[in-house]
Amino acid sequence: MSETGGWVLLAYRLPREPSGPRLAVWRKLKRLGVAQLLDGLVGLPLDARNREQLEWIADDVAEAGGEASIWTAFPTTAGQERQLARAMRETVGEQYRAVAADARSAAGEGGARHRRTLSRLRRELARIARRDYFPPPEREEARAAVDALAQALTAEAVA
Amino acid sequence: MRWATRAGIHVDRTACAWLIRRFIDEQAEFVFVHDPDEVPDNATPFDMRGVELSHRAGDCTFETMLARYELDDPALRDIARIVHEADLDDERFDAPEARGLDVILRGLSMVVESDDEMLDLSGPLYDGLYEYRHRATMLGREPG
Repeated sequence: MSETGGWVLLAYRLPREPSGPRLAVWRKLKRLGVAQLLDGLVGLPLDARNREQLEWIADDVAEAGGEASIWTAFPTTAGQERQLARAMRETVGEQYRAVAADARSAAGEGGARHRRTLSRLRRELARIARRDYFPPPEREEARAAVDALAQALTAEAVA
Repeated sequence: MRWATRAGIHVDRTACAWLIRRFIDEQAEFVFVHDPDEVPDNATPFDMRGVELSHRAGDCTFETMLARYELDDPALRDIARIVHEADLDDERFDAPEARGLDVILRGLSMVVESDDEMLDLSGPLYDGLYEYRHRATMLGREPG
């Protein structure tokens, strides 16, 4: 079982100032759920979408006066890949835990404003799912907590 | 005219190709390349890094094309919002159709044999989407 999957890597360097473009790039990378290999080197499992998204970010970097290049790569050992996967899984795991906690506290309170909480949490779940390449156990927990909130609201509407 | 874009077309490129054929160049011929160096000299490139008709200032290529060819049609602007969200998913617009369009096109790209077939199949989708948004504009509400 030593076969490793392909990765697409973005190597980039941006001027420290102005901080605007740095922050915009960082936000986009975070949204995509990249693995941070080193300062200025990030990666995602290789597929057409991930490659394209990183290519557009490389353009943003170039436009902001930085340097960027895109590479596809294979980790030479399965252990190296496991390490990346573990870090990515921990990051999304934390995000799922936050959703589960919000859903539980909303379900505990009841009240009309939680209908909006439910839509917000569903959107957040969908966002996390799109960058969840190595699903952690927390995923099911978060989905169950959001479903329970939906059920609590339905029960309240019927009562 | 000849137009060139990256092979493996998805939402932004299928939408742009449809827009080109329907509103810009009825006789358009498309070339799909794997490397920017393969773009033929007589072709206009789009949705590729470093060309005029591409992503610009946070816009997707479809939005860049509407601006460049001065296509000022509310139904096209609606499609642009949907394509933007399906392509960039940055929540600049509220376009719930985007997720569905993205999934349908990803699925299609798994069953087609070529980018030309992808164009043939996705074209009528955009025709329908355009008609729907056009009628919605006329009615002032979503058609039933």
